[in-house]
Formats: sequence, structure tokens, C-alpha cells
Amino acid sequence: MTSLLTVKLRRDLWATRSRLLMMVIAIAVSLTVFGAVLLAWSTMSREATSAYMSTEPASATILLDKAIDAQQMAAIVAEVRSRPGVIEATGRTQFSGEVEVNGRLLDIPLQVFVAPPDDPMRMAKFFPGLANWPPSPGEIFIGRDSLALLGVAVGDIVTVEVPGGERHSLRVADTVYDPSLSPSPQEQTGRGYLSTASLATSGDTAVLDQLKIQVADPGQSTPSRDRDAVVAVAGDVGEWLQGSYSLSIREIQVPPPYAHPHQWQADALLLSLLVGGGIALLLSTLLVANMLNSLFTQQIPQIGIMKAIGARSRDIGRLYLAMTLLVAAVATLLALAPAVLIGRVLVGQIFAFLGIEAASIAAPWWAYLVVLAAGLGLPPMMALVPLVRTSRTTVRAAIDHTGLPSSARTATGALARLSRIPGLDRGLLMALRNTVRRPARFLLAAGLLASAGTVFVAGVSLSAGVAAIEQQQTTQRDWDVDVQLARPASIEEVTRLLGQVPDVSRVEGWNRVPTGVAGPGQIPVTRTYPDQGHGRVTLTALPSGATTFRPPKLLEGRWLDPAETGAVVLNQITRNNTLPDVRVGDSVQLLIGGSYTTWRVVGIVEERGGGGGAYATAEGLAAATGQPQRVNQLRIATASHDEQTRVGVADALDRALTDAGIEVASAASVSRMEAISGGHLGPVISIVLAIAVAMGVIGGIGLASTMSANILDRTREFGVMHAIGARPERVRRIVTAEGIFLALASILVAILPMLGLTLLLGTGLGNLFFSAPLPFVISIPAIAIWITIAILGAVLATEAAATRASRLTVREALAYL
Amino acid sequence: MIHVGDVVKTYPLAGGSFTAIDQLDLDIAEGEFVAIVGRSGSGKTTLLNLLAGIDRPSSGTVRVAGADLGSLSESGLAAWRGRSVGLVFQFFQLLPTLTVAENVMLPMDFARTVPGGQRRDRAERLLERVGIAEQADKMPATLSGGQQQRAAIARALANDPPVLLADEPTGNLDSVTADAVLELFGDLNAEGRTIVVVTHERDIRSIVGREVTLKDGRLVTDQAERAMVTV
Ligand SMILES: Nc1ncnc2c1ncn2[C@@H]1O[C@H](COP(=O)(O)OP(=O)(O)OP(=O)(O)O)[C@@H](O)[C@H]1O
Ligand SMILES: [Mg+2]
Repeated sequence: MTSLLTVKLRRDLWATRSRLLMMVIAIAVSLTVFGAVLLAWSTMSREATSAYMSTEPASATILLDKAIDAQQMAAIVAEVRSRPGVIEATGRTQFSGEVEVNGRLLDIPLQVFVAPPDDPMRMAKFFPGLANWPPSPGEIFIGRDSLALLGVAVGDIVTVEVPGGERHSLRVADTVYDPSLSPSPQEQTGRGYLSTASLATSGDTAVLDQLKIQVADPGQSTPSRDRDAVVAVAGDVGEWLQGSYSLSIREIQVPPPYAHPHQWQADALLLSLLVGGGIALLLSTLLVANMLNSLFTQQIPQIGIMKAIGARSRDIGRLYLAMTLLVAAVATLLALAPAVLIGRVLVGQIFAFLGIEAASIAAPWWAYLVVLAAGLGLPPMMALVPLVRTSRTTVRAAIDHTGLPSSARTATGALARLSRIPGLDRGLLMALRNTVRRPARFLLAAGLLASAGTVFVAGVSLSAGVAAIEQQQTTQRDWDVDVQLARPASIEEVTRLLGQVPDVSRVEGWNRVPTGVAGPGQIPVTRTYPDQGHGRVTLTALPSGATTFRPPKLLEGRWLDPAETGAVVLNQITRNNTLPDVRVGDSVQLLIGGSYTTWRVVGIVEERGGGGGAYATAEGLAAATGQPQRVNQLRIATASHDEQTRVGVADALDRALTDAGIEVASAASVSRMEAISGGHLGPVISIVLAIAVAMGVIGGIGLASTMSANILDRTREFGVMHAIGARPERVRRIVTAEGIFLALASILVAILPMLGLTLLLGTGLGNLFFSAPLPFVISIPAIAIWITIAILGAVLATEAAATRASRLTVREALAYL
Repeated sequence: MIHVGDVVKTYPLAGGSFTAIDQLDLDIAEGEFVAIVGRSGSGKTTLLNLLAGIDRPSSGTVRVAGADLGSLSESGLAAWRGRSVGLVFQFFQLLPTLTVAENVMLPMDFARTVPGGQRRDRAERLLERVGIAEQADKMPATLSGGQQQRAAIARALANDPPVLLADEPTGNLDSVTADAVLELFGDLNAEGRTIVVVTHERDIRSIVGREVTLKDGRLVTDQAERAMVTV
């Protein structure tokens, strides 16, 4: 570029600074969102995987039905290590039980992970803060993120109930960082780490029931990423254990390889954010390209002059490329710091959600590069076509240039016919005609606004969908107190005992037993993680005449008949996690209390989280296990349903049962469950709304720029209107009406995408978080709010343009080049 | 210096086409000062546009300052214009965001004929020549119409082009100023520059060496040094 063109560029930039500033803001806002999410996601992916893998997690955990002693386990481990595909093995156990801290019984359980004192800790590792493995007998390590939840500190005494009912008082000797588990506060479970030496006091040495193995692909020394390969190797090991050691295998747990238990949720969240941010970025660069186009177009007369005195297209092109690059560079510079900052806040929250400590919160270099490339590269790319076209303008084209494309004539022609209708306000008609005079510009501005509206309404509708699920669950819940018994008890005895508690109006007893699902002759395989939280299957035995239960939505087959035996209904989550190919009519094995029982699948139901997984009748369970009907879960309706009665009854029930020797795991009002549920989608929805706000800003800028470009185009026209006596108020009204027409058009344009996006997100996120689509709900308040915002925003965004138009003097208008 | 051979220029119209220049032949020798006159709509601007390479003829050849315009690309035309012709058209006002002097320097920048250090000096000399040296550092919008026109002439002379094309350079000027501008043209012609000017000024004949009259795109009279040639 010649030096004088640089001077011209500098002065043009100054002359158009307010428009350039809007372009910079539009790109900077969307690039901030996009950059923050990309930086957060890339950091999270790297750190989550490396933190999770730093524990050398087991590829598979083979759960023995009966524990064996340490010596036998050591012998098995030694042999398993040399089996094909196995690169590491160790024997462990774990249990979950009540815990007392300094003599006070807590209402959350403690999950305890146990390893022999001589475990080399080469796999399924965890990281004690100060001490080394093992803790001395009589000592326990506590998960660091459990401390606050349990209210303990190093040096405190905790009393742990071990399997078999014995209680051990242990001193908290150290804290443990274990990034292989989901965070303790989220699961509402404390975590402890013990050596078998601390359990040995009971005299029973057969305590190890988990064989953990790491599986590698042939010829490799790092754990396999292929879950099917892991399942195959673990299945081989399981059969070998059954054959060579006559051990019965309860279940093989194979969680998704290389993935932290919450990683998929974090991934889903950030990826949907990234897509949203990406769309916002594309829209904003599209807007900027359009704004630049109108800036270039406005300069066509000047381009003609320059061409006439010897400028080549190259010279002109460089001038406008420099302008575009400058906008892109300033926007990128502005966006960089907030993107890094917001990205770090986001990634911090996600690390907390994952329960991991990052080695570094710096994003990988390629993520910065992508942000820079997007910020610097996208605007010139989008502006390339108008840029090249404008710089190629011939002198002749510049002379002929009138500022209006020929396509405008069709649209305005149709509207011209409208003006013959008597009684229509001429000013309004004029506004309407002006709105569509530049169809491409009109569509872009309406499209931008519509996108923002679409995302906003979809976001609010999502939370309405979640609320609808909760509402449904609450209205279907017609009992007041939930009681979990530590061990199954006879329903007659429980009913008799509870009958004496005041305010109890009805008692219903269920039996829920942990189970494993397998095909005939197979070992059950699940996706369960070491925290036992995910992918666990429970068989719910429904009492005849159950009133507190409504059969879930059937996907296949039928629901259970009353008192039917041998029939089981699975939900879709269980089917996907265990036997994805199982159909109605197939035979399956359920492992209950250590023995395999055979059932026929009569139906598949759809449940959203919290569902049991498998359903049978109480009679069916009794028949299959050859034991009398017993219950371990009670649902109690109280005389009145206020919180005070519920809590009072819960406490009274707990006392009555405990006094009668029936151990109660928990007794609580149902309202506590309501408080726990639901929170998971919250962050997603707030993020969707944040994207909607970003898009709203871009849409507002789009509207403002469209209006000001429209007015620039018509500078002469307004000048003429003033010259023939139009009052400023009237001009202002016309311009404002144009903006409102645009907003109304954007609302019309948004209707279909709004329905589509809500359906899409509801299905996608519902499947992710609840394993079933969310109910399709469109939030009417959201639509009302959006319409109000769009119209108010239109008036505001048009304000500057309207003021300018109404103040244009005749002289200014005629001097306009 | 200028050769127009059997040139036709038609404009496409909604119903058929309109012939603005009809089989026109015209030769102008180096150093001539030619006025093109004729009624409004007779094709004067069209002819000048053809000479400036702004329009291409529908048929026929146009050769100006040694270049066959038909064979030049758009960027070739731009480079040729930068070096070989100066344009003073009503349409080509000054660039609003550059000062008067900068406007005059701009063609030198594009053509790179004058060394960077001398451009400012040359611009000042040209402005002095057209009589508005004191306006050099003002913005065009603050100049009067006549001053702008003279600045445009200075700009047209920036690269010392052998040919000067002007379309109604005195259209907006009072008669005194118009005379001054025409006188300036005469001086420029005296230096050996070939000048073609479209004008409505009546007393043009006292200055120009030759007057060409157009009617409906055809050459009606070509009057050189009081000798009548009828075509
Ligand atoms: N771009 C165009 N498209 C169609 N017709 C055109 C175009 N430009 C000029 N004409 C027509 O060609 C004819 C000659 O126009 P031109 O501009 O050359 O006239 P002129 O002699 O310069 O007139 P004036 O003295 O009014 O400037 C006119 O009838 C005009 O309508
Ligand atoms: Mg003309």
C-alpha cells in the first residue's frame, strides 16, 4: 500500500470509528465465548485424562462372589499377570458402611477401599498426602474432598462399620487425593482407605473379593483404549478363575477406558458450549463481513476516482484488507485476555466437578493458536468476496453506482402495490418498504436476532423441561417418608411395629437387591466405576397392590402381571449397560445373593436416572431365590403432609425399628430427595443462556448496524425529505418503525428453529443426563420475554440511527459523497 | 496521439439497444487542443469515456498515447491512465479524507513516477500553477467549487501526462474563473500537451485549435483553424 493510502486508511478508520467499534465488539464478544470454552475444554481434556490415568486405573474389576484370603489372592494375582493381554493385576476389596465421627453417627455412608499392606500400588493407585502406603493397623486415610463432608480432620477418631457388622475405631492418619473417583460431595459419600491389617482383628482373613487387572492390546505395554478388548480379556480371566479355582464370579466391571467417571458429562457440556460459541462466532463474522461490505460499497465513488487516476485493484484491495485485518486484530486482542480469564474460571469449576487437581491450568498451545487463527482469519475470510469484488470495481461501475442493488426493486415493487390500499399509514408503509429494500442485509439482521431468540427460548425451555420431570416425579410421589433398612426384614413385623407409630397412615414395603445381569452361561459385565455409583443394577421387587409405584413408559413388550413369577422388566439404561442386544422374550440370568437365577424378559421400559434398572414382582423374587418375601425399603404415608410431621414420623420410625433390632440405614422425608435431584442440568442451562446473551449482543449490533447502514444509504433521501418539509419527529418515527419491523420479522423467522432447537437439545441433553429425552416443553414466559427484549432492543438499537436521520440537514445530505 | 477508428458504442436498453456513438472516426495529432461540442445527449461524454478507457467500444479501435485500449486489461488500463492521461471530469471529485496536496500527490504514489521525496514539492508547484497554493493543506470540503476544480486539474497533471481529457471542466464556474481555467488549458497546450475538452463555453474557439461537433453520436463538423471540413 502506498503511503498516501495509509494516510487515507487512517483517516477513514477515524471517520468510521463507531461502526468499526461495533464490528470489533461483535467479534470480540463471540470470540471471548468461543475462546474461553475452547481453552477450558482443551485444558480439561488434557488434565482430566492425565489425572485419571495417573492412578493407573484398573481396566477391569472382577468381583468374586465370596472373598478369599490374601495368600490365595497373591497366588492368583501372580498367575493372572502372565495371562495374555494382562499387564498388571492386584487384589482388593471395598465396602460401604455407617460411620461415626468422634462418637457422632453421620447420615452419609463411608465408602472404604481396602488393599493388603504389601500391595505395591502399581495400579488402582491413590495418593496419600504425607504418609506412605500402608496405614498402620488402627489407622485410616480419608479422601481429601471427604473431610468437610464428614466433618473430620487428621487426628480424629472415626468408627467404621465393616461387613459383618463389627465396628472399628480408627485414627485418621492422613488424607488421600484420588482423581479416579467422582468428587465425594457430589456423590454424598465419604471415602476412606484401609489396609487389610486394620480389618484382621475380626479373625476372618478371607477379605479380598476384587481382582483388578490392567489390560493392554497385543504387543502394547500401556492400557488398552478398546473396551471390547478389555471385556474379552477379563471374561477369559473370569472363566479361568471359575475353571481353575472354582471361584464363582459375581460381576465383571469394565468402565469406559481412559475416561474419568464424570468426563463424558464435562465433555458433553463443553462441546455443546463450543458449538454454541462457534455459531456465535460465525454469525458475528458474517455480520462484520456484511458491515464491511456496506462500508466498502459506500466507498465505491472514491474507488472510481482512485481507479481513474491510476490505482490498480491490488492497491485498493490492500487498503480494505488492511482495514479488515485491523478490525480482526483489535477484536482478537480485546478477546484474548477475557477468554483466558473466563476459560480459567470455567476450567476451575470443571476440575471441581471432576474432583481433580490440575498439574497446570494453562491451555495447550494449539488452543491459543486456534483462537488466534479464528479471530484473525475468520473475518478476512468472510469479507474476502465483498473485498475482492469491491476492489475490482471499474470506473464505469463506480459512475453507475447508485447505492441500491437491482434486486431491491422486486421486493419494493410488491410493497408498492400495498400502498394503494386506502387507510394505511403512509409513514408505516415507507418504513416497511425500507426494511426490505436491501434483502440480504435485512435477512442477516433478522437472522442474527432470530438466532439469539432461538437459543434463549430453547435454553429456558430446557429448564422448563427439567422442571416438568421434577414436577412429574413430585406429583407421582404420594408418600411422605422413605426408610431404607440395612438388611431385609419381614413385612408383617415391620408393619406391626410401624402401626404403633402415631401419624402413620399407610406402609408399603419393597425389596431392592443389587444384582448383575448376564446372558445364559455368561458372567455379568457392567460399566461400573470403582465408586460403584454408575452402571449399578438393582432389582426392585414390587409388592402386590403397590400404590406408590407407577409403571414407567414401555418401550417394548409389556409390564409385569400381578404376582407373576419368572418375569423381569429391564429399563433401557440397564439393557444398554449389560446386554445391549437383549429382546423381549429372551432369557437372562440375574445374580442375586450369590446365585444365578433365570428370568424371561417381558418388557423394556424407559426411565430417567434414579430408576432401579430391573423390576420383578415380590412373588417372582421369592420364587427365584426360594426365600420368603422380605422388604428393605419402606414407603410411608403420613396423616398430614407438612414437613414437620414428615420429619417427626421419620425420627419416630427410626427409633421404633432400631429398638426392635431392625437396623435402619436411613429414614428421611421425601422432600430431602427433591432437594438433591435436578441440579445436574443447571450449569448446562446457564451456559446456553450465556450463549444466548452473547448472540443477543451480536444481534443488537447487527440491528443497529443495519439501521445505520440503511440510513447512510439514504442520506440523500432523508435530505430531500427534510427539504420538502418532513418534520424530524416524522423521520424518526419512520426509522424506529423500520427497526421494529425487523424485530418482528426476526420473531417470525425464529419460530421453526426455536421448536427444532428445543427438541434437539431436549433429546440430546436428556439422553446424556437422564438417558431419555426431556419432555418437549416450550416456555411461554421465555417467548414473551424474548419478544419484549427484541422489540425494546430494536427501539434502542435504532435510536442512534433515528436520531441521526432526523437531524440530517439538507446541506449535509447534499454534500454527501 | 489519439486514433478513433470506426467506433460504435451501444448501450443495452430494456427494449433493444441505444447507439450513443455511431461509426465514429477521429484522429488527433500530438499537441492539438480539441474542443468537443454538441447538444446535450449527443454523445460527448461517451466519446471522452472511450478515450479514457472508462468504457470499451462495442466495435472499432481506440488508440491513445501509444496504447491500443482494447488490448489492455483493467489493471493495464489503470497503469496506463496513471502515466499517460490526466482526467478532469465532473464525476472525479477529490477524495474527501485527503488534503488538497495529498490528492495531488496520490497519482504519483500510484504510478511511482516521481521519487517519494519530491512528490510534495511537485504537488505544491502544480497547485501554485493552478493558483491555489495557499489551499494545499486544507480538506477538499472546505474549498469552493472553482478551487476544487482547479485542484482536480493539478491532480490530473501530477504525472505530467501527454494527454489531458476534460469533461465540462468549467461547468460550475463563473465566467471569470472559467476563463482562467481555459487559459490554463491553453498554457498547458502550449507546452506540447494534447488536450481534448468537452465544453459548452461559447468563446472556446478563440483558444482551441480545433472544434469537433457531435450530433446523435456522429461527427457533424470538424472545424480546424477556420477551415471547414464537412463529413
Ligand atoms: N449508461 C448508459 N446507458 C444507456 N444510455 C446511456 C448511458 N450513458 C449515456 N447514455 C445515452 O447516450 C446518449 C449520449 O450520452 P452522453 O452522456 O454521451 O451525452 P452528452 O453529450 O455528454 O450530454 P450532456 O451534454 O448532457 O452531458 C444519451 O442519449 C444518453 O441517454
Ligand atoms: Mg456529458
